[in-house]
Amino acid sequence: MNKTIKIDGVEIPFKEGQTIMDAALAADIYIPHLCHKPGLSPHGSCKLCTVDVNGRAASSCTMPAAEGQEIENDTPALNEVRKTITQMLFIEGNHLCPSCEKTGDCTLQAIGYHLGMLDGHFPQFYPRREVDASHPTLVLDRDRCIMCELCVRASRECDGKNVFAISGRGTKRHLIVNSPTGRLADSDIELDDLAAHICPVGAILIKDHGYEVPIGRRTFDLHSVAETDLDEVILTKARHHDEGDDSGEKEGGVYGV
Amino acid sequence: MTPVKKREAYTVSKVRVATTSLAGCFGCHMSFLDMDERIVGLLEHVEFSRSPINDIKHCEPCDIGLIEGALCNADNVHVLKEFRENCKIVIAVGACAINGGVPAMRNHFTLQECLEEAFLDEIGVDNPHIPNDVEIPLLLSKVHPIHEVVKVDYYLPGCPPSADAFLKILTDLLEGKEPSLPKEMLHYD
Amino acid sequence: MEQNRANLRRVAVDPVTRVEGHGKITLLLDDANHVREARFHIVEFRGFEKFIQGRPYWEVPYFVQRLCGICPVSHHLAAAKAVDQLVGVDELTPTATKLRKLLHFGQTMQSHALHFFHLSSPDLLFGFGSNLEHRNIVGVIEDYPDLALKGVRLRKYGQQVIEVISGKRVHGAATVPGGVNKGLTIAERDRLLGDINDVLAWSQDAVDLNEKIHTEHPENHGFGRLNSNYLSMVGGKGELELYHGGLRASRPDGSKIFDQFDYRGYYNIIREEVRSWSYMKFPYLTELGRDDGWYRVGPLARINSCDFISTPMAESARQRFKAFGNGGYVHDTLAYHWARMIEVLHSAEAIRDLLLDPEILGSDLVVKGEKREEGIGVIEAPRGTLFHHYKVNEDGTIKKANLIVSTTSNNQAMNESVRSVANEYLDGNEITEGLLNHLEVAIRAYDPCLSCATHALGKMPLEVELISADGETVDHIEKASSGAIKRTV
Repeated sequence: MNKTIKIDGVEIPFKEGQTIMDAALAADIYIPHLCHKPGLSPHGSCKLCTVDVNGRAASSCTMPAAEGQEIENDTPALNEVRKTITQMLFIEGNHLCPSCEKTGDCTLQAIGYHLGMLDGHFPQFYPRREVDASHPTLVLDRDRCIMCELCVRASRECDGKNVFAISGRGTKRHLIVNSPTGRLADSDIELDDLAAHICPVGAILIKDHGYEVPIGRRTFDLHSVAETDLDEVILTKARHHDEGDDSGEKEGGVYGV
Repeated sequence: MTPVKKREAYTVSKVRVATTSLAGCFGCHMSFLDMDERIVGLLEHVEFSRSPINDIKHCEPCDIGLIEGALCNADNVHVLKEFRENCKIVIAVGACAINGGVPAMRNHFTLQECLEEAFLDEIGVDNPHIPNDVEIPLLLSKVHPIHEVVKVDYYLPGCPPSADAFLKILTDLLEGKEPSLPKEMLHYD
Repeated sequence: MEQNRANLRRVAVDPVTRVEGHGKITLLLDDANHVREARFHIVEFRGFEKFIQGRPYWEVPYFVQRLCGICPVSHHLAAAKAVDQLVGVDELTPTATKLRKLLHFGQTMQSHALHFFHLSSPDLLFGFGSNLEHRNIVGVIEDYPDLALKGVRLRKYGQQVIEVISGKRVHGAATVPGGVNKGLTIAERDRLLGDINDVLAWSQDAVDLNEKIHTEHPENHGFGRLNSNYLSMVGGKGELELYHGGLRASRPDGSKIFDQFDYRGYYNIIREEVRSWSYMKFPYLTELGRDDGWYRVGPLARINSCDFISTPMAESARQRFKAFGNGGYVHDTLAYHWARMIEVLHSAEAIRDLLLDPEILGSDLVVKGEKREEGIGVIEAPRGTLFHHYKVNEDGTIKKANLIVSTTSNNQAMNESVRSVANEYLDGNEITEGLLNHLEVAIRAYDPCLSCATHALGKMPLEVELISADGETVDHIEKASSGAIKRTV
């Protein structure tokens, strides 16, 4: 007999070892998330996926599913908190969507749309962060980094490298590159690495490209972030954008690790 | 060329709307005009106070103030405060008013660096010096969104927001409803 | 004069309205209300040239279009032309070139229509000193609904062309290095073709109206008139060309200063003077020097300078324009409006021709090349010749940027026109709101985009203050909230 949990009153099955997030995604239930990507070890840092489990708050990406859990997910109160978290992510960095080449394909932006975020609410930090354009095929624009560590985990767990890490505390937190000089050019990252394509925002970019997909055909012009199989779409698209594919979707992506 | 109709006196029942562009590109105003013929219908319910499309130079008591652009000089702050004092409802329109937008990219540099680049170091500059006449408003050291200086009642994001979004938020307000933007009209770019 | 400044009465027009951007006019008057100084100031500064440094080059067309929401396409395309060079592409595919041209004609039409119908027509239809509250587009809609709606629809059509090509009416996404990001579908083409005959007819009407306004009002001919030099781009045969060509500069008598000049050497022929009282610089032709080298750009410069227009209806309109000038250059500042509408007509014809060209439906959109360190892109924006110049570091980030936007080139001319109008209409008179609007009418003729000019930033404030020769403020005039004149002494 299947074990089950309840999310917003809907009973769904889970397998032993799955987190609440795993079970929800498998059942096509969307729990907002930024730092989670199926296949990579859970991180629990963005806190967007916080749900109420039997009356207690928990990160669904790290909390194991367990028989009898009654979970609240899509509630006005939780979505309001998620909106506040998203606003904080926006004002802590320099997220100027209008000229960013990731606009339309950016998960942070799409989460903002999903939650109905209209403004940043808090005073802007306008931090001064370094752009690293030293690499022949990649650019690191730290202005847009949200410290989700997807690149850190992708590099370590999938690419078998250890290119990225987060350093510093509080407002001084920033993405660093593991190389003798600290520059991307001197690391062993390559264009084909998953770490080069996994960034949910416009922090890790492919050089000489951008704005190639017309407005109206970008990922989030066509999809809502709440489509639970979207992780796959975004990654396949990112990894194939050098092949003149502007449909946004392509078979046989490298996603899935 | 013969006027077809004499202008009627404005009725008091019309909602008065003022608009201004601070440190912005006027793209939001252009998008407002992109409602095309629909503006004629809107004018049955709305009349304009200060706006770049007429010659009223200062904001007078109004129902709604639409503010495009960020704050980058002392004059912007002055105009913004004038709007807040005179408008019952202030709406921050567009990316620059809401989070500084592209003009806020100058916050990565000092003001001095920006001025030197434009007026001293630029290609082909003659008589290089930084303009300093009393007629020129003082620049702020950083660009700021407007909600950091005055209370903002509603936000209309986009670069620019679409004409449909303008029409939706104004129609809601004219009908006495709490304005809300449908998902398909919500964009930050 | 300089030493007496403190003794003069200051009049300021602040903000200058019904223009795109932020600026103000100040006058200094003596005891007898004689104008001793008249200046048009650009009062904002954004610093694009600095903060673009360090950004990846392929982002540039997307940053810089946000200089200006009225003609974003101009900046998008001028920057894209520079970026093409940065990636080593000197010639795009025929389809990409035609799509970019179509985009540019769409914007020329919408920007010109906006300027005449929404911003300037109230002055020309109601009179420069007419009732302030009525002197705007709302008044035009009330009194001349058919005319106003034609204007609104002309602009709409231009915006629709832009939307089809770039995905949005304002700040869309069309170009990529070496090309464009999408082709035109048959359905899109047919939709645009559906309205083109109306658009052609409205454009012809707009030309006729402006021709009539100008020729039937001799009192307007001398208004802010300047015997100036002109600069514009022309095509290889000397024809009117808005997208790509060589530079031609002429003296007031029409004789050439240079012709078919490769714009990539623009820095050899133009310098920009900084003056303390404006954030907008004062460009001049190096050959003629700082005092004599100023010139005008935009529709008047282009229609004066070109030898012919390649489309028949606009060419016929140009010939009537030429006849008005007895074959020579027309220097009337208010003739800018007429020239502008001739360009609307040309844009309409060119859009039709491009839509009917089978190549516009092609799918070969991008060319690749070998990277270079420097790129210079120039086009004829609605307001005049627009220069974008970028140098990149080895890592693909911008090292240096220089922009000379169209309105900047008209800076000296606008100041000259303000001075001329101030001397003719205000000098010795008691200053009224209607008289002050004359100053703005002169500025408006140039369709200044102060938003661009202050790339830097846009805003055009009007306030006039009179200071007597002994330094006392005799008169201070502002356009008050009601629109009425507020006078404080």
